[in-house]
Amino acid sequence: MIKHLFKLIWKRRKSNSLMMTEIFFSFLILFAVCSLGVYNFQNYMTPAGLETNNVWVAFINFNTANDTAKVQYKELVSQQLKQYPEVESFSYTSSNAPFTFSTMSNSVAYNKKKVSSDVITVEPDFPKAMSMTIAQGRWFTKADMAGNFVPVVITKHLAKDLFGTEDAVGKIFGDGEEAAKSKKMKVVGVVDYYKHKSDFQELDNSLFRPSEKWDDTMVLKVKPGSGAEVEAKIVRELARLGKDWTIEIQQMDGMKSNRNNLVLVPVIILLIICGFLVFNVALGMFGVLFQTINRRKQEIGVRRAMGATKGAILWHFIGETAVIATFGLILGLFFAVQFPLLNVFDIEASVYLIGMLLAVIFIYVLVGICAFYPSRQASVLQPAVVLHEE
Amino acid sequence: MIQLKNIEKVYRTATIETVALNKVNLDIEKGEFVSIMGPSGCGKSTLLNIIGLLDEPSKGQVEIDGKQTNGLSDAQLASFRNQTLGFIFQSFHLINDLPVLDNVELPLLYRNVSSAERRRLASEALEKVGLSNRMKHYPNQLSGGQKQRVAIARAIVGQPEIILADEPTGNLDSNMGNEIMDILLTLNQRDKATIVMVTHDENMAKRTHRLIRLFDGSQVS
Ligand SMILES: Nc1ncnc2c1ncn2[C@@H]1O[C@H](COP(=O)(O)OP(=O)(O)O)[C@@H](O)[C@H]1O
Ligand SMILES: [Mg+2]
Repeated sequence: MIKHLFKLIWKRRKSNSLMMTEIFFSFLILFAVCSLGVYNFQNYMTPAGLETNNVWVAFINFNTANDTAKVQYKELVSQQLKQYPEVESFSYTSSNAPFTFSTMSNSVAYNKKKVSSDVITVEPDFPKAMSMTIAQGRWFTKADMAGNFVPVVITKHLAKDLFGTEDAVGKIFGDGEEAAKSKKMKVVGVVDYYKHKSDFQELDNSLFRPSEKWDDTMVLKVKPGSGAEVEAKIVRELARLGKDWTIEIQQMDGMKSNRNNLVLVPVIILLIICGFLVFNVALGMFGVLFQTINRRKQEIGVRRAMGATKGAILWHFIGETAVIATFGLILGLFFAVQFPLLNVFDIEASVYLIGMLLAVIFIYVLVGICAFYPSRQASVLQPAVVLHEE
Repeated sequence: MIQLKNIEKVYRTATIETVALNKVNLDIEKGEFVSIMGPSGCGKSTLLNIIGLLDEPSKGQVEIDGKQTNGLSDAQLASFRNQTLGFIFQSFHLINDLPVLDNVELPLLYRNVSSAERRRLASEALEKVGLSNRMKHYPNQLSGGQKQRVAIARAIVGQPEIILADEPTGNLDSNMGNEIMDILLTLNQRDKATIVMVTHDENMAKRTHRLIRLFDGSQVS
């Protein structure tokens, strides 16, 4: 029976080519959307490695170009913050604190292997403020700063990029560009995850090193329930410590959802466009099927006369449509497999494979739904009527 | 073999009511070759469709091979058509996108028959109608007479006991028509098939066992 369907479709491939092409393009679009969805979903499901709840980011501007003054001012702020019972912990960081729009990356090198990594400078209390846990080794302390090497904590991703399967803790490596001029770095700890750009971010290379004197961004972990009043009080009292200081505090939760929206909104727009396209294809398929069945009324009559039940006719046309879809899908899959094969966009092959699978399932379900009603109409045609000749 | 009792068929549309058959009684024996004649529109096709279980009578009973067919399910009717009845139509009704052999196999697709067995039976049927050398052709590469022979092969491939032919020579010239008539006669005589044939041709009707005349939906002889 399947062979019978394939024969019919193959012979009619010209007249079915429109539907095949539609299926082909729909599949490619669905494949893109599904792959994108799978990619983002998988990233979303990996742990963030940090906690944004009850975390504030303070952007402080001391309005001075004098680094010595800045160090003093920063100490003043630290002392003041320790007064507040609502503030559990805090750390100065470089301006690329989590979910800010600032990035800072650098290249690092080990044994001629050179990779690029985000670099974040932080104080020893940073992991406490961000609720980060260390997977191997430990976080750096004040005592580490005095040594011959710059103590750093890196993400597992960077450890793998630099050192492969070797144990990262204790490894000494250098700057990728100015190895001679700058101090060597020594890994003291590794964290598994650090998703600091959005929840949909792929795990990547990050490196934490001790804070520099000009760092004037700060992350603060506050007690649950510390609201706008506490925030306003702290801003007011800190600003009073200096002359022209400006201080702005933002909730990291909100900053994160802003970043998430930057990923989500285009995906949602794409989904809407895709849904619209697929809907049109479905309508087109519906129309073509009705036309086909109208044209083949006599054939349906003959099949009924030869012993086909209503069910057999129903399944015949659903089957034919599925076969047409299969031809379109085969062509589509041929293009789709190029993505994992050529490693386009440097995304894991499994993402594309799941995307393909989902798109294939979606197409068959769509085809099944579109084919059902016209096929049912075909199955209830009266053989005596459609075979009637004058 | 075929028993019709008080068959009536009325077609109703919003405005008109057509009585296509009026109190038709018919008894056809196993192995009989019966022809039906009558003017156009008198209900010949309707009668044949009712015998062939393609249409239901408005009133009356149809018995085939000793079995009542009233109230049978779609699947039971389909199985009857598939096993017991073979159809031949005036305009052949072949599927143009399938080669001859596949066309002939069609009834077997609706049975549990392996594809090898289908091939074998279809080739055999084509041999009977003298078309073994045209198995791979498509219908539109054949003459009218050849097409009708393919249609006959399709009708007999499942070895039905009854063959129903609605003006099988209506679209053919007299030479080809006679060829078809010869094949039908052979099927009747050699294979003992019961045949009911609608025709406009007196000469062909004469070669059958019995002639039934219809006029305006009623049996006149
Ligand atoms: N499906 C139908 N709906 C309405 N009237 C029909 C239908 N089929 C046949 N008829 C009418 O029934 C009568 C008998 O038709 P038919 O059996 O086809 O005649 P014949 O085959 O003898 O030429 C005709 O008047 C025809 O118009
Ligand atoms: Mg007729």
